[in-house]
This record gives sequence, C-alpha cells and structure tokens, in this order.
Amino acid sequence: MAEEPKLAEELKKMEAEYEPLLPVEKKLIVWSIGLGIALLFILVWVSYTFFPGTH
Amino acid sequence: MEEKKGGISEDWLAFWLAVLIFVISLLSYVGTDPLGWVVSTKEWTDSSKAIAPTGKMYQSVKGEITKIDGNKLTIKKSDGKEETVTVSDASIYKVGDVYEKKGLSGFASLILTYIFMAILFSIGAALMKANIVKFNIGFFFIFWLSYLCWFIGHYAYFAATDAKKAGIPWSLKLTGEGGFIFALILGLIVGNFFRPFAKFIGEALKPEFYIKTAIGLMGALIGLKSAEAFGLASAVLFRGLCAIIEAYLIYWALVYFIARKWFKFSREWAAPLASGISICGVSAAIATGGAIKARPVVPIMVSSLVVIFAVIELIILPFFAQAFLWKEPMVAGAWMGLAVKTDGAAFASGAVVDALVRAKAETAAGIKYEPGWMLMAASTTKLFIDIFISIWAFILAYIWCAKIECKPGEKVSGKEIWRRFPKFVMAYAITFIVILLISAPHAPKIQPVEAQINKIKKEIAATEKQLASVTEPAQQEALTAKINENKNKIKELEGSIKESKKIINDTKVATSGTNSLRVLFFLITFFTIGVMSDFRKLWEEGIGKLAVVYLLCLFGFILWIGLIISYIFFHGVKPPIITG
Repeated sequence: MAEEPKLAEELKKMEAEYEPLLPVEKKLIVWSIGLGIALLFILVWVSYTFFPGTH
Repeated sequence: MEEKKGGISEDWLAFWLAVLIFVISLLSYVGTDPLGWVVSTKEWTDSSKAIAPTGKMYQSVKGEITKIDGNKLTIKKSDGKEETVTVSDASIYKVGDVYEKKGLSGFASLILTYIFMAILFSIGAALMKANIVKFNIGFFFIFWLSYLCWFIGHYAYFAATDAKKAGIPWSLKLTGEGGFIFALILGLIVGNFFRPFAKFIGEALKPEFYIKTAIGLMGALIGLKSAEAFGLASAVLFRGLCAIIEAYLIYWALVYFIARKWFKFSREWAAPLASGISICGVSAAIATGGAIKARPVVPIMVSSLVVIFAVIELIILPFFAQAFLWKEPMVAGAWMGLAVKTDGAAFASGAVVDALVRAKAETAAGIKYEPGWMLMAASTTKLFIDIFISIWAFILAYIWCAKIECKPGEKVSGKEIWRRFPKFVMAYAITFIVILLISAPHAPKIQPVEAQINKIKKEIAATEKQLASVTEPAQQEALTAKINENKNKIKELEGSIKESKKIINDTKVATSGTNSLRVLFFLITFFTIGVMSDFRKLWEEGIGKLAVVYLLCLFGFILWIGLIISYIFFHGVKPPIITG
C-alpha cells in the first residue's frame, strides 16, 4: 500500500478545495429527514394496529 | 459487504456452509440426532461437570429409577434432577434400580466439535483461496483460546444469576454469555499487546465470515420460536423493518449534513462516512463508496475507524442497556441492532444484551424471560439494515450518477441491487422459513392441550387426596371412577397432540445442535473482532478529525435517535416468560 494517500493530506486537500452543498444534496437531506418524520407516524400506527406485539 | 479474494465471496460461502449444516440437522426427523455430539457448556463450580454433548442421545445418564411408564423410565440423578429416558425393553428394570447409560464424554465432544469446525472452515478458507496450513494453525489458537474464555465465563462465580441456588456466596451475574466478553477482552489484549502473535494467526481472523455463517443457522432457531409465538415474532419482524426505515432516513441525512456543512468534508468522503457512522459500518461504507465511485481508500479508512468504535460500543452499550433498559428488553435488543456497527459487533452485542438483561430481570424482579428474543430483535434490525444497504446504495448511485457527477451514457441498473445484496441473509431466510413451515401447524396446538392436561392432573391429585380420606365404599367408587375418567381424558388429550409433539421435539433436536454450533461461531467472532481491533489507528496522523465527527455523531445523536426509534417501536413488547 505504498501509494495509499495519507489521511492528513486528504483532509488538508479537502479544507483547501471546499465543495459547497449542491441544491440536489440539500434536497436529498431535506427529503430524507422529512420522509423519515412523516413515515414515523404512519409506521407507528400500522405497527400498533396490525402488529400489536402480544403473545 | 462482499469480500472477494480471488475465490468464492465470503457472503456466498457463509450461505452455503449454513445451508449445509442446516440440511444435516434435518436428519433429526428420521429419528437421529445428527449434531447432538456438539459440545455444550454449563454453568459450573466443579469443572469436570462443565461440558457435555448437546444431544440427550449422546449424554451419560446415571440415577435411581423412580417411575416406569411403558418403555419410559424416570431417573432421579445425583443432583436431584429428574430425567426421562426411553428404553427398548423396560421389563428388565424395576423402580429403585440404578440405571446407567454411558455416553460421549464432554472432552470427546469438545474435540469432535473442534475437528468439525476446523474442517468446515478449512473448506471455506480453501474456497476463498486462503493458505490452508496457515489458516489451520491460526484457527487452532482461535478456537482453543476462545473456548477457554467460554469455559471460564461459565464459572458460577461469573455466570450464576442466583448465587444461592448455585451454592456460592456471590456472583457477577453475567450468565454464561459473559464468556463472549472475556473472549473479546482476550482478543483485544492479543491484538494490541501481542501483535506478532496476532499476525501469526492472521489467516484465520475472519470474524465476518464466522458471524455470517452463524446468522444463517440462527434462522432455524428463530423459525421455531416464531412458530411457538407467532404474534410476537411477526410484530418483531415488522417493527424491526419500521425501525430501520426510520433510522436510515434520519441518521444518514443528518450525518451527511454535519460532515459536509460543519466539517467541510468532500462528497467523496462524506457519503461513505455517513453510511459508515450512521447505518451499518464497514458494509455500508464500502457499498456507498462503490455506489458513488469513491476511491477504494476512502471506505477502507472509514471502515478502520468504524471497527474500532464498534468494539467500544460492544463493550459499553450492553451494560448500559442492562442498567437502564432491563424493563424494556426488546427495546434493548433492537437498540443494539440499530446502534452497534458491523455485523459481527451488532449480533454479538445482541447476544450479550440478551444474557445481561435476562440476568437482571431475574435477579431484580424474578422474571425469567425466554432466551433469544432480544438477540432476535437485534439481529432482525441488523439483517434488515444489511438488506436495505443495497437499496440505499442504489439510490445514492442513481443520485450521484444522474444529478451530481453526471457522465454521458452511464446508467444504474437493477443488477446493482443484487450485486450488493448480502447473500448470507438468504440462508437465514431459508432456515427460518423451512422450520417455520414445519413447526407452525403443530407448535400452537401443544401449549393449550398441555395446560389442559396439567389442570386435569391437579384435579386427579385433589381427588386422590379426597379418596384417601373417605371410608364409604360408594363414595370411594365414585371418586375412583372420576379419577379413571380423568386419566382417560389425559390419554385422549395426549393422543391428540402426539404427532405434533413428535415433530416439535424433532425440530428442537435439529435446532439445539445448530444452535450449539452457532454459539461457538459467535464466540470465535468475539475473539477475532478483538484481535483485529488495533487501537493504534486512533493515534494515526489525521484520523483525529474523522474520529471527532464519529464521536460527535455517535454520542451526539445516533445512539439516542436509535434508542428513541427502538423505544417507539418496541416498548411494551416483552419476550415470553418461562414459568414453572
């Protein structure tokens, strides 16, 4: 692994060449969290209604 | 996820080995116990009584005959426990005689188990193009050092949940599974202080391979449990699925945002880091790295950090769960699946939390939970996570390909999902479904009928007591008739579930053998995880920033969101309680 880049160098490079968040990345983050929160209510309802977890 | 080193992939190999062992175990349905010789270890104060073969067919029995019923003898052993044995000719015995059957010694069973595992994994290593000689030398040390930990872990002073019952003044109450922790600690000592030795056994350090084979086998055990408590099992499966959907959607996006916005990581680093930290460690980091076409070094560096933190989680979280979640055992199990990264560490923490929480519930509240359910919650969530990685990687691959790094003519195909699919999960599904289909028509019939039989037996005992106190012949006759009527009822009821009982007993024989092997596979996983966790990585130049992101995300919100999600979906769900 002689050619393996040093992590420290990689991080320095990242600091020097910052890639700003693209609109599509922002969209991915917002949609993902939004969907997660919306689904939470639906899935909780389905779980407690159809899979009560008693035995 | 799939590690290929020239030969067959680790995933496929784990799949085939698990299926092979499972098929062998099914011979129990033709009246044999094909894996009964596998060693099982009991809690001990006298080391000579610690190990024995798993199957009754192979165990030695000695004791006084207290009852003869048909060709069944009830034997009272020296420890006061009773055991029923079936003999071909009961007429040669009478009550009060001493019955003795020589079986396989515990030591012989242990040696056989080692040979079997060495051969089995050598085949695997050969197919993965590993050096067989080096593998076997390594495996020799891994097996025996791990087993030593397991044996010590079963010492009553460490394991007993009830010290009084075990006849000792105190106990750490770790249960026998404390041996897993000992194996991990010994592995960490070897990996960090005896590095030349760790390198020497390196060829056999394949924790993911061992754990994936074990998970394939675990499906059978879970299948039987599900048949016995179908409502609970289906709830655990569905809620596990819900929990991981939530975890994926919330975790990943948050970690990605923090890594990009606050720590200024590039996309190439942030995506594998988000998957590695938030979802499933090594597998997810590698899958995501592949999906976004990152350089191979990126997921590898992320993975090395993930493995170290997974071990820290494995050491801390089960004890935390024992202290604070013992009243919500399934929450604790699911939490391990959601929070602990890498397959090996997650399943392992599920096993430890299962043991620790059961021990705590028994000592603190006198509740004896059936073993395995917390492990099931942990493994269910982890398996769904593994399955979901391929879908998530596909989504990311699509977004990167179509929206971020658009290259003309490049397309993401459905084949990508299959390529990234964790194949060993199919072994779990097959063993689970086969055992469920065999047991489901029979298991639910047994318990209610047995409850009815017990009720009638109590009635008989009460009537017999009454009979002893009456002197009038008419009354005596009526009571005797009542007793006989009840006895006939019992015979009828026993007859109605005879076939079902046979099938469930055969299934238990099949699953107890595979389960003993599974436990040993888990054990060597713990040891090898420890050996492979080189904490020097933490001091490596530059890794500090990665470690800070990891620590911040892990302890800042991943653990707690995972706990909240587990609580939402699993609170109030309790494992079956062992009565009597």
